[in-house]
Amino acid sequence: MLSYRLVSGESATYFEDLQVGEAFVSPGRTVTEADIVMFAGLSGDYNVLHTDAEHMKSSLFGERIAHGLLGLSIQQGLLDRVVPGQSTGPLASVKWKFKGPIKIGDTIHVEARISAKKDGAAPGHGVITVERRVVNQRGEVVQEGETDHLVSRRPA
Amino acid sequence: MTGPVARAEAERRLYFEDVRVNVPLETPGMTLTEAHVGLFAGITSSRPADSAAVPDLIPLCLSSGLGWRVPLPPLVVLAFMGFDWQFFKPTRVGDTIRSISTTVAKRSMREGGVVIEERQILNQAGEIVQSGRLTLLVAKRPTA
Repeated sequence: MLSYRLVSGESATYFEDLQVGEAFVSPGRTVTEADIVMFAGLSGDYNVLHTDAEHMKSSLFGERIAHGLLGLSIQQGLLDRVVPGQSTGPLASVKWKFKGPIKIGDTIHVEARISAKKDGAAPGHGVITVERRVVNQRGEVVQEGETDHLVSRRPA
Repeated sequence: MTGPVARAEAERRLYFEDVRVNVPLETPGMTLTEAHVGLFAGITSSRPADSAAVPDLIPLCLSSGLGWRVPLPPLVVLAFMGFDWQFFKPTRVGDTIRSISTTVAKRSMREGGVVIEERQILNQAGEIVQSGRLTLLVAKRPTA
């Protein structure tokens, strides 16, 4: 999650330090059958889309696909590897579209950009908006959306 | 397969035609544990610095499984198309969440139908911790 607590004063990034237009590209990650099985176990979502290989042979997708929320969760972890964890605060909102399937063996990465900064409702905080795209090995955008985060302002 | 077993199986599913609008459905609860946080950390490679803090996406992810534990057959979801979600309160290890879902709109398409679901996740104090709207593509009942 982009919701790590500040570890030390030195590594703190404040609302004032983040610039609209800053862009990030994450490393890639291959989504495996094990990821899907573990996510089914964690979430309790055993929909046949994710768990029944035989049923899915005759489906639109032809095989099992990753849970959409697994893709969302993996992209969050991928982006945490390039954006310093301290730089963005707790999630305030997510707007998200699942545009295509993530299949077993697909390798995804995240392309993200700070698209807006605005005042937060709480004093001492601002809100940053991050646009994110999850892209597979063929360059197809499989998920995209934007997240709003609460970020502390630099103490006076 | 078209035998009686296959038919009985089909009857234990809800299709687009069966979806009732504006009927709230409440799930059982689920207590958030360090095991959830650890598993999620393993899957995402991301771990909060504070080990009792539950990553914001965990309640959302668990709510999709809680939806399978209501006294209704499962909905035949063909695809999760998108969602719009807000986070109001953080959750901690030891909190117990449940969710309440209501279909607020449905629209028939050529292949299946679109269902808009409003979902709230509540904690043990009855406070809304997260809520939003999900858009699902649901199968129509197969014609015999």
